[in-house]
Amino acid sequence: MSEQLKTRPDHVLEDPGAQAVASLYARSYLNAAKENGVGDADVELTSFVSEVFAQNSAFRSILVSDGISRDDKLGLIDRALAPNCSGFFANFLKVLVRHGRIGLVEQIREVVAEVQEELAGQKRVQIRSAKPLSDGSRSQITEQLKGKLGFDPILKESVEESLIGGLIIQVGDTVYDSSLRTRIQTLTGRLTERTLNEIQSGRDRFSHPEGD
Amino acid sequence: MKFKADEIASVIQKEIEDFRGQIETAEVGRVIEVGDGIARCTGLSTAMAGEMLEFPGGIRGLTFNLEENSVGVVILGDYLKITEGDEVKSTGALLSVPVGDAMLGRVVDPLGNPMDGKGVIMTSDTRPVEHEAVGVAGRQPVKVPLQTGIKAIDSMTPIGRGQRELIIGDRKTGKTAVALDTILNQKGTGVKCVYVACGQRLTSVAGVVEVLREHGALDYTIVVASSSADPAPMQYIAPYSGAAMAEYFMYNGEDTLVVYDDLSKQAIAYRQLSLLMRRPPGREAFPGDVFYCHSRLLERAVKLSDELGGGSMTALPIIETLEGEVSAYIPTNVISITDGQIYLDPDLFWKGIRPAINVGISVSRVGGNAQTKAMKKIAGSLRLDLAAFRELEAFAQLGTELDAATQQQLDRGYCMVELLKQAQYEPLHVADQVIVIYAGAKGYFDNVPVAEVQATEKKLLNFIQTEHADTRDKLFEAAELTSEVEEALKSALEAFNARQASA
Repeated sequence: MSEQLKTRPDHVLEDPGAQAVASLYARSYLNAAKENGVGDADVELTSFVSEVFAQNSAFRSILVSDGISRDDKLGLIDRALAPNCSGFFANFLKVLVRHGRIGLVEQIREVVAEVQEELAGQKRVQIRSAKPLSDGSRSQITEQLKGKLGFDPILKESVEESLIGGLIIQVGDTVYDSSLRTRIQTLTGRLTERTLNEIQSGRDRFSHPEGD
Repeated sequence: MKFKADEIASVIQKEIEDFRGQIETAEVGRVIEVGDGIARCTGLSTAMAGEMLEFPGGIRGLTFNLEENSVGVVILGDYLKITEGDEVKSTGALLSVPVGDAMLGRVVDPLGNPMDGKGVIMTSDTRPVEHEAVGVAGRQPVKVPLQTGIKAIDSMTPIGRGQRELIIGDRKTGKTAVALDTILNQKGTGVKCVYVACGQRLTSVAGVVEVLREHGALDYTIVVASSSADPAPMQYIAPYSGAAMAEYFMYNGEDTLVVYDDLSKQAIAYRQLSLLMRRPPGREAFPGDVFYCHSRLLERAVKLSDELGGGSMTALPIIETLEGEVSAYIPTNVISITDGQIYLDPDLFWKGIRPAINVGISVSRVGGNAQTKAMKKIAGSLRLDLAAFRELEAFAQLGTELDAATQQQLDRGYCMVELLKQAQYEPLHVADQVIVIYAGAKGYFDNVPVAEVQATEKKLLNFIQTEHADTRDKLFEAAELTSEVEEALKSALEAFNARQASA
């Protein structure tokens, strides 16, 4: 089968509502694991998503499909998965199936990974630059961010030539923009404004003081 | 003229030298859904309600809904240029518009951008569009009259500075004309005016601007225009921006007049926004807070206390009714908010009684406080006399024979109705109004045939202005009908009648 056509950018597909639900399940999953003394809950989830779910698309479609009853799905989990995984994880999958949230399992995995990073004092930082970063500047940025923001940054780099130069760093919703493109835009705006003011005041010198 | 290129070049050079690129920090989000003038965005976790946002290309937005996982934004500009996935920046500032003396004489859109092709507006002052109204302690009673120049209004439903008087009526009954005449009459009084066109046709707006310009009223007026072709968010914020522009003058101790033409269209724009934002609809599908939408706007009209400079903002909201239905949702809301209403009646309009003010149901809750002493004295009984006349007129239609006294009362009534008619764009000074109404009420017009009353009125004013200017000047200055002035006026009127009889 050919690759699916992409009609929208990735981030648009992230439904904020689904994201919130996934976050709730992920945190509950980790808390439950902690309370029950299950040590490698996150590893199990990751391996399930990347090795079972992603590689058996037929299996995934059965679990996600609305056409198959919950009982059948639960039976499938009992027969195919339960013998090969921990009872705790099988239970988690069953809860997801019962609540009709099994389709969110990939997003839950994402959130679990993020929470684990948070617990380890790490945070994802997006870096956009005009050119690929050199190793030197990468470690410099990492050091600086660590010093300023107080956590270990996990850099996610991307290259945008339209920035011309400089960097845009995004941590969560906050953007630190020191790109040449933005600076030039700011300068252009200010120059236009000042020049217009000069021209207008030059013109006002000749206009009638009492209006037309 | 020649621009001094060197000057400009040096300004540019200095600007570049002084430019220190700083790291711009901003809270961002992404557009997940856009259309119909609104957008839904994720991120923006610290956005405030009413905060100004910036879309790519400098298009501005206004935070409208703060939801659990997303933010509803109204787009103030061309929403067709925004696409899903675009980055939205928060600015940390509330939506504000430019204000100041430079705005006078200009036609601007609700964001304060010039629309009249007269170049940029040179002002550095801004005011937030949404601003809290002054509290009780900051106000004082409405006492100073705001003369509309319209006889029927100044005599029977007087408007004071700081009052909110609703102009209500069906379509094509002269609502805008009343408001425009009021603006024209503020010439030379120092009252700054703001005319807010909300959801109007652009031809009407152009017509209004032309009238203002022709009569020299544009010099003290700001026109805020949002046409029916503008997106709903622009129509929604237009009255608030107009109020902000007037507030600047008000807090500088000046008197201002704001006309909102009209608020029913604003309510419809607000309904559209709210429904698109999935706020639950209420009566007539308006959202629950449409009352607050108008009350918070009109509450900004105020007469400030002397400690705050004593400035004032008089508001003349306009509401269009359908088939005279004043008990519809929006009309009842605005009637209950304002300090009185001027009701324009289509039947009167087509009978030729223009301005078509229905005296019976038009009221001003401020009343006589907002009249000059002279006007108060002569107009005190006018409303009752007219009411008695209407009753008598209905009775006389039965065709019964009337005694002489009743017939005379009827004739005087017809004469007064005729005297209260007034042509458009011809506001009268209050002293002239006093002379005319005094003459009518005291029977100096009794011998004039009804068809000639208006022409005779013109002659009378002309006669007094040219031959008894001192009497008129006294009325002008004292604004009081002392016995001395009254005597002078009586003799002038008798002289006029004698002149008429001999002619």
